[in-house]
Amino acid sequence: MTKLFGTNGIRGVVNKDMNCELAIGIGKAWGTFFKKNVKKPKIAIGTDARLSNGMLKSAITSGFLSIGCDVVDVGLVPTPSLQYTVKEGDFDSGVIITASHNPPQFNGIKGVSSDGTEFYKDVEEEIERIYFDKTFILANWPNVGNYSNWDGANDLYVNGILSKIDYKLIKKQNFHVVIDCGHGVGGLVTPSLIKKLGCKVTSIFETPDGTFPNRNSEPIPENLSEIIKQVKELNVTLGVAQDGDADRAIFIDENGTYLWGDKTLSLAGKYVTKSKKGGISVTPVTTSTCFEEIIRESGGEVAYTKVGSPIVAKFMKEKKAIFGGEENGGLIFPELHYCRDSSMSIAKILEIIAKEKKPLSELISEIPNYEMYKTKINCPNNIKELVMKELAELVKDNNEVLKIDKTDGIKLFLKEGWVLMRPSGTEPIFRVYIESKKIGKTKNLAGQYNKLVEDIIQNIS
Amino acid sequence: MNNTISKHIFRAYDIRGIYNKDISPDLFYKIGLAAGSYVKNIIGGTNLAAGNDIRPSSPCLVHSFISGVCAVGVDVAYTGTTSFGQTLFKGSELKQNLIAFVTASHLPADWNGIKFYYGDGVGLPEEELMKIRDLTMSNDIKVTDWREVGEVKSVDPKESYSDFFKSKFQFKNKIRVALDCGGASMTLSAPDIFKSLGLNVQEVFCEPDPLFSKRPSDPKPKNLSVLVNNIKENNCDFGVAFDGDGDRAVIVDNKGKVLSADQTGIIIGKHGFSEKKGTIIVNVECSKSVKEQLEPLGFQIKQIKVGHTFLTLEAKREKSPLGIESSGHLILPEYFLFDDAIVVPLKIAEILDKNKVTLDEIISKIPTYPTNKEEIECSDHIKFDVVNKLKKELSIEFDKVNTMDGIRVDFDKGWILIRPSNTSPIIRLTVEANDQNTLKEMTYKFKERTNNTIEEITKKNV
Repeated sequence: MTKLFGTNGIRGVVNKDMNCELAIGIGKAWGTFFKKNVKKPKIAIGTDARLSNGMLKSAITSGFLSIGCDVVDVGLVPTPSLQYTVKEGDFDSGVIITASHNPPQFNGIKGVSSDGTEFYKDVEEEIERIYFDKTFILANWPNVGNYSNWDGANDLYVNGILSKIDYKLIKKQNFHVVIDCGHGVGGLVTPSLIKKLGCKVTSIFETPDGTFPNRNSEPIPENLSEIIKQVKELNVTLGVAQDGDADRAIFIDENGTYLWGDKTLSLAGKYVTKSKKGGISVTPVTTSTCFEEIIRESGGEVAYTKVGSPIVAKFMKEKKAIFGGEENGGLIFPELHYCRDSSMSIAKILEIIAKEKKPLSELISEIPNYEMYKTKINCPNNIKELVMKELAELVKDNNEVLKIDKTDGIKLFLKEGWVLMRPSGTEPIFRVYIESKKIGKTKNLAGQYNKLVEDIIQNIS
Repeated sequence: MNNTISKHIFRAYDIRGIYNKDISPDLFYKIGLAAGSYVKNIIGGTNLAAGNDIRPSSPCLVHSFISGVCAVGVDVAYTGTTSFGQTLFKGSELKQNLIAFVTASHLPADWNGIKFYYGDGVGLPEEELMKIRDLTMSNDIKVTDWREVGEVKSVDPKESYSDFFKSKFQFKNKIRVALDCGGASMTLSAPDIFKSLGLNVQEVFCEPDPLFSKRPSDPKPKNLSVLVNNIKENNCDFGVAFDGDGDRAVIVDNKGKVLSADQTGIIIGKHGFSEKKGTIIVNVECSKSVKEQLEPLGFQIKQIKVGHTFLTLEAKREKSPLGIESSGHLILPEYFLFDDAIVVPLKIAEILDKNKVTLDEIISKIPTYPTNKEEIECSDHIKFDVVNKLKKELSIEFDKVNTMDGIRVDFDKGWILIRPSNTSPIIRLTVEANDQNTLKEMTYKFKERTNNTIEEITKKNV
């Protein structure tokens, strides 16, 4: 297991565990990793709008240059814009300095492979190994890397989205969209993209500001009261809110109702499956059954993966999937790239509304409804493996269980729903997910299985 | 590279060392912490401008330096890869508290380093630079809370820098200049600026060549043969060669004769100012002809210690029109206090434009005296004692003695200067005289005197 890289790159509190010395060292290790296969690796680097971005970008840049990698600084960019640039440009790797939806004291470093996808675990493990062993291959003085700037990334990206969307159809609709960029980097591209799609735009919290003055950057219901209010007042097509680095989008329907990510995921999946007349869609085991149900109904198949967007993206590429994503608002449209992408999601949802000629609330009401309950139980990292073993033993002869799936943790399929129990990869906790058609049943199951996990943890410790 | 910091890289006027041997990005991060905390805690400022020359290792070093500055809570305006003058200009235009330029000036391409100036263009004196050294060596600088981390802003100096010269120089005649940038940092500014002012430019090594593969970055006469030939072939009015970062310019006349900094300074003093008044700053190594030529015109001459940081400081204090360092730094405070060498050829062009005389005619009217520079070997631990003993003795023996920097003795027919080298186990003897015979005599006499003193002190120490 990696010590520094978590589910979404390296994260930490600025000038504490996320500091310049770490960034310089990671730049050296990362550069050394790519240098083994390429004579002069070319790295694209971009950042979100956090206060410490300049500092950390300078630090990691100097690490790369010292190994002999050339660095192209693309400035302030949404994460998907950097990913698209790396894929389309002649880059061996990309770096994005962001802590996504984390509070402002955090920052992070996320890696991108030459195809634009987020680093997979094997790359991160090797970079960490080089970092801790300090087996850097330093360039001698004539071969130290070059540094340059390029300000074309966001235009390249927006044009990429426009090339994959029926924008002429959207233009005819006179849509009005309220967008809440939450002072993240989405403000640099998304409002102008929606204008290019011919929509009227009301944007709030548009200017990138690393202190996130008006709302926390995670687009959860309690942070979105302002956009919900505006949607209700303005009589618009929809509202949409981004996270700090604009890879995830959460939608508000025309009535001001907050839509959970799995509903939007299902709507987009349904539409893509129908228009492609079948195909595979990919999602982690934590996603609501509504997704599988609607995809099957539309003539497609669902493949499940472990939790983590890099895993979903990799699996999609391998399976030549037509669609994928997570229940947190991270939707992946492979015709553009294998990346979670809030701007592409917005364009696609607008295209769906234009084609189906129905308001968003109606389209969402066609998605089957399930009641999900998520909880976390404290569990020391060192006993997680034992807990899993014990759990497997206990459930194996349970006659309530129709099927057991061990893709990530233990998922039990029951007559009226499912239960998933999995240890977190980053925190000392066990996560329990329960879903059924009825809220009462979900609550019952939650009581039963939470207790089961708690008892096992208590017995072992 | 090991983790110990070698103290010797911190020199009197700047920091210098060989890349991956004495200096590294990790060290420049620490220097960044030190410079940032110098700005914040010692001069009570909030910001710093940083730029770098064209050397291959410069972008790497400047970036780790910048990250260190930010980590202590000081904002950075990054000017990019530029000539020395562009970064200094932008830093003072933006009224930054400190300006840092990553360069090893005229040293070979495997060297690098950093120079510091205040926002007004005055170089950091040695004692201030040593505060940055001590902070770097202390290894216990605290980084700031996440809220206070410094921000980095990219700023492009090109436009306002170029506009500045357009506002200062207009030429009526088509002046033909051979421009030798040596493939170094001046390739980034001088060719464009010269052309934008209407000069007819003959380019010599004006394409960027960060390895300095075509011409060493030190514009010594022996490195300037291509420039000299170009001047002759193209009938240029004059030529100019810059060093690696652009803080020194060497002027070559229309016949291909390489001028000393003293000669260039005299020409500018005689012909470059409408009013001949104010105090011209020269260092103790400058030729006596500077005083002989310029004092009668109405200027006063003030002698100072060697070092371009003192030059900028004194020029500011005295509101001088001109400062001359015999090593090649010339300052013209009507433009800048800092030693951006681009003003030197532009001033020469202005003089030729206004006076309608050729440069060799101007020079023919300025007498030159034979000079001699000797390096006398002397171990580091006694070289200062030797010079101190000589100071005491010579001050008693002779009338005109100046001990502000080493010891200078003036005679009717010339002068001598004895100084310990700051960096090598050497004592330098500089002699200038009215004629070759006197030069030989004086050189012999004071070389012997120095060697005898070395012997005495060595014996005493045994």
